[in-house]
Amino acid sequence: MSTTTSTQVAPSTRRPLRYYQIGSHLFITVMLLLSLIPTYLLITWSFKNGLQYRWERWAISFPLRWSNYGAAWEIVGDYMINTIIVAFIGLMGMLLLSLIGGYVFARMDFPFRETLYYAIIALLMVPWVLSFIPAYMVYVRLGLLNTRLSLIIPELAGGPIFGIFLMRAFIAGIPEELFESARCDGAGVLDLIGRITLPLSLPGLATLAVLNFIGVWNSFLWPLVMIQDDAKQMIAVGLYKLARSATYGGVAGWTSQDFGVWGPLYAGYVIASLPLVLLFIVLGKFYVEGLVDSGIKV
Amino acid sequence: MTEGTGTAEQGSVADLSTRTPTRSGDLSTWQAMRRSWQAYALLAPVFILLLIFNYYPPILGLLRAFYRWRPGVEASFVGLQHFGVYFTSPETPRELFNMFKLLAFFFFSGAVIPFIMAVLIFRIRDTESKELYRLFLIIPMLVPLIVVILLWKQIYDPNLGVINGLLEQFGLGFLARNWLGDTATALYAIMFMGFPWVSGVGTLIYLGGLGQISESIFDACEVDGCTGLRRTLRIDLPLVLGQVRLMTILAVIAGVTSFQTILVLTDGGPGFATMVPGLTMFHKAFRTQQFGYAASIGMVLFVITFTATLAVNRTVHPAVEDVRH
Repeated sequence: MSTTTSTQVAPSTRRPLRYYQIGSHLFITVMLLLSLIPTYLLITWSFKNGLQYRWERWAISFPLRWSNYGAAWEIVGDYMINTIIVAFIGLMGMLLLSLIGGYVFARMDFPFRETLYYAIIALLMVPWVLSFIPAYMVYVRLGLLNTRLSLIIPELAGGPIFGIFLMRAFIAGIPEELFESARCDGAGVLDLIGRITLPLSLPGLATLAVLNFIGVWNSFLWPLVMIQDDAKQMIAVGLYKLARSATYGGVAGWTSQDFGVWGPLYAGYVIASLPLVLLFIVLGKFYVEGLVDSGIKV
Repeated sequence: MTEGTGTAEQGSVADLSTRTPTRSGDLSTWQAMRRSWQAYALLAPVFILLLIFNYYPPILGLLRAFYRWRPGVEASFVGLQHFGVYFTSPETPRELFNMFKLLAFFFFSGAVIPFIMAVLIFRIRDTESKELYRLFLIIPMLVPLIVVILLWKQIYDPNLGVINGLLEQFGLGFLARNWLGDTATALYAIMFMGFPWVSGVGTLIYLGGLGQISESIFDACEVDGCTGLRRTLRIDLPLVLGQVRLMTILAVIAGVTSFQTILVLTDGGPGFATMVPGLTMFHKAFRTQQFGYAASIGMVLFVITFTATLAVNRTVHPAVEDVRH
């Protein structure tokens, strides 16, 4: 097709194209608004008292009842602190093991390197349903039932599987000259990892940290079966139990008259979402890239 | 990998191993391994943890599927008994059927809808609104999954739920029902959760895939008058088939293994209306202490996911972008 015909075609196609663009904008906006409804309801409900919750379901009720948040924090705060402690300890270990593993596989040459590497990566193919029941039994046998360690270990042991995969690719991209000149200055392996690899692979580590933190924050079935002691419970299970007691038995410290438990309950949900929001604001780039890349690469 | 040979040529302090050709026999391999002790030492902690907590459990699960097994009691071999019991149980056909229904639906909501959404957003000319849409896709993802599930449970509530509230407001009160408590609607209510299924990782992954297609393909395509739906089917879809494959596999895995949502929303009820094999596995283990039986259900689910993943991998081949032709 010659260029002249295509330029002749252009004006006639422009008008449908504009309609198409407007139509797309409309469709996308409607879809996004629909998917935001639960989030909208969550936030408005969190500021209501019982009567407002009963009678003003869709509208924002004034004055905003901030005291719901104080009441919610009394209960949700402990679960959140538990989860942050577990996530932090697990993350530090997981990042260290992933960094070291990534370096060894990307930068060192040794017999059976690829065999060992694929032995790790193969674990990505094992679905969790296969290991869920036997893993529980192994943890029980090791006396880890109802301990925080039982929540940290899955992150520490399982996290580096994807971590090493990601960090190997990342560290392989660092120019060799940097390592070479450091070696000339007499740097050992630990120096090469700590002084050169670590500072240069911070974006990769940030992505890993974000993905793992989301995973820990959402972990539900494992803490549900491992932890019986409410004082050690993680946030997702904590919210589940809180919702049950709000529905069936009432919650100590919250008024159960006239639907009074609902405002604080939703305030608790909002508080539990805040760490993820904060994470997104601070590390949004790694958040999105991590999610997308992990999808593309696996 | 090229990095490896690079280090060897430079005769680095850390990596002396490749100086000895590993091909020349067992002895030199052994020597090379001894020289690379640092690498093995650095990997040792990872492998010790993986052996205990990630290799051992699935293998143990495959073995114990053939045993009667519970904490504190010596496991006893029962052969194929668990599988026999499971496949002859009257509830099994129903829960397998539920599982396949959910799986088919997850393919639609997790692989198809996000693709349509991503194509539409990708073709928006105005870059500012494009960025805004991306941002709005992410906002619902910032709410933890358990909160989303509990919220939807409230939305479906027969007395306080907003769905029944809306129906009554529009004079359609006769349609109001206990969505999760009614055998006829419970499974569909579980599927409907998350409507309209656009936000989330799927759309972002497709957008990432579309972004990797080179501009010249779209230019060539426009010159040839290939636009709209034809372009979607002939250009966009073949070039993001890698992402389609991934989302399909994720939908299969979610359909077969994820029972968290069902556990929270209905716990398999009313009756067995929303029961799925994964939830049966969970109940058998943690409510009736039949860990061997649960492990055998886990093994069945593993075989299903593995076969399905393999089938998807064999049948879906991403097109290769070649601009020169």
